[in-house]
Amino acid sequence: MRYFGQKLIQLVIVVFVVTFVVSLALGAIPNAEERIIASTGQGVFTEEDRNAILDEVHLRDPAVVQYGYFVKDLVTFDWGVTFGGNQSVRSSIWDGLQISLRLMVYAQLVALLLAIPLALLAAYRNGGVFDRVSTTVSFGFISLPNYVLATVLGLLFTVRWKIFPALSKNVGFFEAPFDHFKNFFLPTLVLALPLAATYMRLLRSDLINTLQSDFITTARAKGLSTSHILFGHALRPSLFSLLTAAAVNVGALVGGSVVVETAFNLNGLGRKTVVGIFSSEFRLVQITVVVLALVYVFINFLADIVYGLLDPRVRGARSV
Amino acid sequence: MKSASHVRRRPGVLIGAIAVSFGLLAAACGGDDGGSSSSGGDTTAAPAETTAPTPATQPPADTETPVPGGKLVMGLEADTSSPWTPAAMVCAISCHMVARTVYDTLMIPGSDNQPQPYLAESVTPNADFTEWRITARTGVKFHDGTDFDGAAIVDNISRHQSALLTGTALLDLASIEVDPADPMTAVATTKKPWATFPWFLTGQIGYMASPTWLAASDADATLQSQPVGTGPFVYADYKPNEYYKGTKNADYWNAPYPYLDEIEFIPITDGLKRRDALKAGDIDVLHSGNGEVITEFRESSDFESIEITKNGETAYTLLHVTKEGSPIADRRVRCAMAHATDNATVNEVVSFGVNQLANGPFSPDQVGYLEDSGYPLVQDMAKAQELIAEYKAENPGELKIALATTTDATNLVIANYQKGWWEEAGMDEVTIDQIDQANYIVTALLGNFEVFQWRNHGGVDLDQQYFWWHSSSSLDVGSLALNFGRIKDAALDALLEENRAITDPARKQEIAEEVNRLFATECYNLWGSYQVWMIAHKPEFKGFAAANLILPGGMEALEGSGIAGTFYPSTIWKAG
Repeated sequence: MRYFGQKLIQLVIVVFVVTFVVSLALGAIPNAEERIIASTGQGVFTEEDRNAILDEVHLRDPAVVQYGYFVKDLVTFDWGVTFGGNQSVRSSIWDGLQISLRLMVYAQLVALLLAIPLALLAAYRNGGVFDRVSTTVSFGFISLPNYVLATVLGLLFTVRWKIFPALSKNVGFFEAPFDHFKNFFLPTLVLALPLAATYMRLLRSDLINTLQSDFITTARAKGLSTSHILFGHALRPSLFSLLTAAAVNVGALVGGSVVVETAFNLNGLGRKTVVGIFSSEFRLVQITVVVLALVYVFINFLADIVYGLLDPRVRGARSV
Repeated sequence: MKSASHVRRRPGVLIGAIAVSFGLLAAACGGDDGGSSSSGGDTTAAPAETTAPTPATQPPADTETPVPGGKLVMGLEADTSSPWTPAAMVCAISCHMVARTVYDTLMIPGSDNQPQPYLAESVTPNADFTEWRITARTGVKFHDGTDFDGAAIVDNISRHQSALLTGTALLDLASIEVDPADPMTAVATTKKPWATFPWFLTGQIGYMASPTWLAASDADATLQSQPVGTGPFVYADYKPNEYYKGTKNADYWNAPYPYLDEIEFIPITDGLKRRDALKAGDIDVLHSGNGEVITEFRESSDFESIEITKNGETAYTLLHVTKEGSPIADRRVRCAMAHATDNATVNEVVSFGVNQLANGPFSPDQVGYLEDSGYPLVQDMAKAQELIAEYKAENPGELKIALATTTDATNLVIANYQKGWWEEAGMDEVTIDQIDQANYIVTALLGNFEVFQWRNHGGVDLDQQYFWWHSSSSLDVGSLALNFGRIKDAALDALLEENRAITDPARKQEIAEEVNRLFATECYNLWGSYQVWMIAHKPEFKGFAAANLILPGGMEALEGSGIAGTFYPSTIWKAG
């Protein structure tokens, strides 16, 4: 419980820092006032009009007051509308979040589904042909930037073979499962392959160490089957690095999703952030950054909790 | 198979393709020529003869009989980051493509190089061009059932008068009111003779939105993204940076248009991605000013294309010519930069030789174009060094300038070329500032720059450049102004004012040529190239040439549809 409480306090501190910095970021933007005025597209000829618009975004208030308004708007979901198109920021972010979360979840699942069996095989036949080939290939995928992968896979699967669309659309899974698969396959693959390579190498390394442990030797001596030894005894204690990497890579996925969403024209949160920055949609960008940060922090918080569940020693050690 | 309207290949340079063309140049870009059709316009607007550069033939209309039905998906180079209310739109090329589905303009550039009535029944001036009567076409309704009449015209144009961007274009408009004797007519009174006023009704200012919807949008901002006009397609759905969808307006006043049942626009900012989307079959048509894409589709046998080169934009380097303390304020420094520039090299490296080198603001089909404007087309480093040395002799100390470009990689390549040339010419330091697109435009509006890569100045009549160059729109640094370079030149002002007031084509030609020479002499800008735009499409889609749009008077629309990189969506049809 103490361990949980500590993690919760850390989470609150991180959330405070993120929201405070983001709330003040607006004032640090060059020509912020003029950009806001220009972004409205409206004729602003009097000082009064100008002040009214700027007052609305609290740009000239003290930092603490700005933060107060920001948090109030944040928790009451009063996120306003975009300058361009006057779209609700809340629905815009919700639309984008659905896409980004799908991509993150699919990519993590595919990466884990690829990495775990490959790592088990490679570790079991450590030094063998499969181990060497899989290690080399995974090294290649880790070195390959995802924009290169997106371009290559895009050209092959969309332009040349016309199997998948070049522009992915946000088709719901229950709305049209096959179309959903077609539209999310390539973006998921681009995110998942480098991730799978990283996971595979980490897990393989940990498994090799675990397989040299005394309790594995004992298990072998007792005549347990290979699959029983691998899945029942070796895998669980080897999962720590993988779990850490999976949690930390949520951040990488957020970053990676910017590239992938742009490459496949998916209007997820990553792309919205980039486009928002270029089109001076400050409020959209602020909220998006906070949402992404919260997702990241929350997943890492969960990972910390899972550590404790996987190994009670962690709870004891970390709560000291 | 190539389209019959595939135009020409011109060597040239694409310099600094900054996609910044505000909609108020609306009437700007377009095709030229006269060539075609009967000009039976029922009620012509502008005085009988105005601008008219040398007539040439424009790409012909398709000869096959259009078939109704089908859906067109177009890849756009950008979304429009503004509300869809005409007065608030920051309207570049992509914006006009969408706007033309839902809105109609009061006038459209005709193939005789004159604005012709379209949604307006007539646009007629008084004797001294200080009053214009704009009469609404009878029987037309907005998509929401609101009647199109004089009050609708007044409401729309009045909103532009107080708009941030388009308001500058209407500074000479004193008032606009409904004629008490004729509710279908709006009377626009100008502060001084304005013979070319109808050109401003062919673009953004000419788009007519439903007054009912505009009023509702004032009260509820979210409605501003659901436009209501009289156009060929009714708004169906819009998600910023994702899509804009329209469905056929079955009651369109200008039947038999439109032919398509549905139209969809998808913003794809990366030109090469847009190309891939067309090749993959995700979209049916794209527009592009990218030299690589244009070159590829010229050679393609799987797609058809049409190139729009006339009256288009010029890519150039914009200079802030009146900035206090800046060496750019000295003509010798500006001209040294012009002499040191080697556009031909940039053309080969960056643009695949698609564009034509520019020697002034006006492309070969625009009024005012000169074979030899006096602007240096070939690099002369010795001359540049001589001018810089002369300046330095009088102005001791280091000569440093700041060159701004966007975050686009291609523009950075060009900026690095420029830095090399100008430092070789004798400048002590040229720093390159990369600025994101949104801030880039604002920086230009504020005048917070010395040297800027830019693209602008398409159009048919010189008057369409008035607000970019006249001192009345050259405000102090820090104020938003459309005369980005803050040019304050009495001679230029006088020429622009005279051109605005007259109709004599010969004199207008002389004035535009004088303006061209003046720019060359003063080196107010560093000209780069005349921009070519391509519309590439699947072969089953037809009707992209502007000649396919027959105006109510029987005349064809002008090539280029009035704005570079665009076409009229109402004329597109899909062959079985």
